[in-house]
Amino acid sequence: MAESKLKRTQRENHKRYKEDVKREGKPFFPYAMFHDTIMALVVVLVIIALACVWYFTAKHAKDGVGALGPLTSAKADPGTTSFVPRPDWFFYFLFYLLRVFKWPDSVFLGTVGIPTILLVLLIGLPFYDRRTERRLLRRPVAIVTAILVVLSMGVLTWKGAIAKESVGAENVQFVPAWAKKQGFEDNAKAVAGAKVFASLTCMTCHAYLGAGSSGPGPDLSAIAKGGRGAQGFADYVAQPSKFGNNVMPAFADIGADNLAALGEFLNASKGATATKK
Amino acid sequence: MAPAGAACGSWYVVDTSESRAVEWRAGSELSSPNDKPHVPAPSLWPVGFAIGIVCLLLGLVLGSWPIVAVGAVLAIAFGYLWVRDVTRDMRPKEAPAPGTDVAPSAPAAEATEELPGFSRSIFLETATLGIGGVIGGLVTLPVLGFAVLPAFESHKAKDVDLGPITNFPEGSFVVATFLEDPSQGEVSRKTAFIRNNGLTAVKGKQEPSFTIIYSRCAHLGCPVQPGGLLQDAETKQLAPVKGDPVKLIPVKGLSNFACPCHGGAYDPEGNRVAGPPVRALDRFAYSIVNGNLMLGTLYSVGHVEGTGADAKISRYTSASPGVHVDGIERWLYPIPVPGR
Amino acid sequence: MAPKSARRRQLEAAALYPLDWVEERTGLVGGIKYFLFRHVPRDTNWMQTLGAATLTAFLVQTVTGVFLAMYYKPDPQNAYSSIQHITHEVTLGWLVRGMHKWGASVFIILMFFHMARVFLFGAYKYPRELNWIVGSLLLVLGMLEGFTGYLLPWDQTAYWATAVGINLNATAPFLGPFLANFLQGGAQIGPDTIARFYSLHMLLIPGGLIGLIVLHMYLVVRLGVTSPPWSPTAAGRERPDESKPEGARQGLIRSGDGQDEGH
Repeated sequence: MAESKLKRTQRENHKRYKEDVKREGKPFFPYAMFHDTIMALVVVLVIIALACVWYFTAKHAKDGVGALGPLTSAKADPGTTSFVPRPDWFFYFLFYLLRVFKWPDSVFLGTVGIPTILLVLLIGLPFYDRRTERRLLRRPVAIVTAILVVLSMGVLTWKGAIAKESVGAENVQFVPAWAKKQGFEDNAKAVAGAKVFASLTCMTCHAYLGAGSSGPGPDLSAIAKGGRGAQGFADYVAQPSKFGNNVMPAFADIGADNLAALGEFLNASKGATATKK
Repeated sequence: MAPAGAACGSWYVVDTSESRAVEWRAGSELSSPNDKPHVPAPSLWPVGFAIGIVCLLLGLVLGSWPIVAVGAVLAIAFGYLWVRDVTRDMRPKEAPAPGTDVAPSAPAAEATEELPGFSRSIFLETATLGIGGVIGGLVTLPVLGFAVLPAFESHKAKDVDLGPITNFPEGSFVVATFLEDPSQGEVSRKTAFIRNNGLTAVKGKQEPSFTIIYSRCAHLGCPVQPGGLLQDAETKQLAPVKGDPVKLIPVKGLSNFACPCHGGAYDPEGNRVAGPPVRALDRFAYSIVNGNLMLGTLYSVGHVEGTGADAKISRYTSASPGVHVDGIERWLYPIPVPGR
Repeated sequence: MAPKSARRRQLEAAALYPLDWVEERTGLVGGIKYFLFRHVPRDTNWMQTLGAATLTAFLVQTVTGVFLAMYYKPDPQNAYSSIQHITHEVTLGWLVRGMHKWGASVFIILMFFHMARVFLFGAYKYPRELNWIVGSLLLVLGMLEGFTGYLLPWDQTAYWATAVGINLNATAPFLGPFLANFLQGGAQIGPDTIARFYSLHMLLIPGGLIGLIVLHMYLVVRLGVTSPPWSPTAAGRERPDESKPEGARQGLIRSGDGQDEGH
């Protein structure tokens, strides 16, 4: 009964709509089509403008990366060990969704499960939202859903865009900034040590100036204050168990040179300027 | 207006023709007053004439004069008959028309009379649909097979020669980059992390043992990075007799493998320690031939217990990244994929 | 006056003759005239140009794509160098490639905007449900175009994004690994993968897109364009009913049950 009533209302509404359009409407051409054409012009101009900005800024940039990114990145290398893959921007939300599901048992939820559910919900929208009401203010559920969807997509896209992984290839890029903040730019040995620190897996257990992992090891931004001295740090890293630390693995096999540089770097990490913000 | 309205009516059931701003001008009716059959009535003479011409040209091409002669005779004879037929009306009526030229109109009339008598035939309907289906199948199935099946044929790559085992220092990792199949080119470039585990006893003999880990993340296939110091200065480029150069870069202080995409991390045996990877890193089988390390087939690993030469590896057929090979979740992927 | 108008009529007849000729044989001119001069609600606004904008972006993609295909070489040895050639050497190649690359992003953004507009207007409701579904499928196909096209430059970003994308499909239960094998043309990204993606990107998926776009627009024309729901002169708005008391119109009195709405 309710069903047939809904159907009747729907049909009456549409019939009334058709009559209104026939009586009061305007011809599509040229009235509505004029707007469409202006919009089409805007679209084409925007596309051309994007292409021009992309090309000319990249062409004149020293590193080949313009305001809208490089013309191409390096040729595909299936054997790389330093490249950090990222998807096109409109898949950032999916990319970040994958990072959210960081447990092996839930992988397929992030990859297939949630996208499929969302797609089914999207396609099925007209079938579970069956009311004839179209005015926004009288569709509170729809309005809240829309805001939530836009917000979550926006947040996921944004988080995907800035997501970084603590791997050597990315951490090494911090080194110049560290040298500047800690004031060891002139100390070549400390800079070399910083590169060792960034390339090794130190930052999976230690934080340094806001980057890296907050545990289980301590934050090393101001480790020099411990007063171990460059050689002391080198010895400690080489064989932590000698100093009563049985959690941290030994790094003796990275060689005396690297250990010495690492010690110099840690000894230069006073954290003074960093704490000032 | 009428035909345009009719066209619209069949296209768009909903709206009406009144709403159009510009009226379609009248007078484009399809019915023509000139519907009676053309004169002269159709005849077969032009066909004979055409055959004669073809014969003549064929003879010229083949260089055979008898054929040319036959063609010429045919063309002339039928050409004469044709011209006579066409110009019949222009000449004063002297000879009565040959009986054939009235014939075509009669069967046509019969056909139109028969039309309303057609009844829907189940046989014809099924046959039409059936034949259509057969045609569709004949075209689609081979094409689909062509597109799909080669992807599932097993691809047997030859073993890759990674050079003398003396290039692999005992107890530390070397990053080896090589072409798995040089005939495919750069697209088959792969990277493996290789550790020489030293000599170990196998069936009473001392044999070298290796751990060879593939660099593809077991989560979604990103390139994992070795968590250690790459000794770029000590890079070795090997040029084997066959195949492509192999690049070997020793690593110092390797303590993990980390994935740059979604936070997967592995210990030096390839076991997952953090993040979403569903299994351990894949490994390559190996053999030692004449003191050279030969890389064999790829296989997937559920979990590794123990380290180095003593490791107990739960070994499975190579699977896609993200596919569980053990535990309860492997029942999500019950059908083995051929060609892996 | 009279001779001028006769001459004018003659000219008009001459101009319209080809149209008449086509109309008589196809009836298409009538269809196009219907499309152009059909009535739409008088209160349609700028938000309702997003569909046309999306179509424009799609047309830009087809045109630029056709011409890129003249220079592009879909195999792993040559793909990257052919892209370099297009970008740096072919006259205006950078512009055509740039338009295709950025047109893709614009196309996807506009699809989302268009969809948001339809959602806000409640324009997916009866009788336009099927058109919402067609639109959703268009969105999916558009994203697939983005995915398959992303591999073609064969640079690092392209290769690895695609590797992850294919492996995403592989994690789908039961048939996922088969889908991944099919997409790659083997167990891993190999020499055939790029040509497969190329074929999907420029033949199969665009074919589906074009078919669905035609259906989408046919349904728009058949069912009509909605008025903005807040418009006081919206087409199909409810009229004050003479038989109801004054208060019902202003919402002061609840409209009666069953009896009132029965007729």
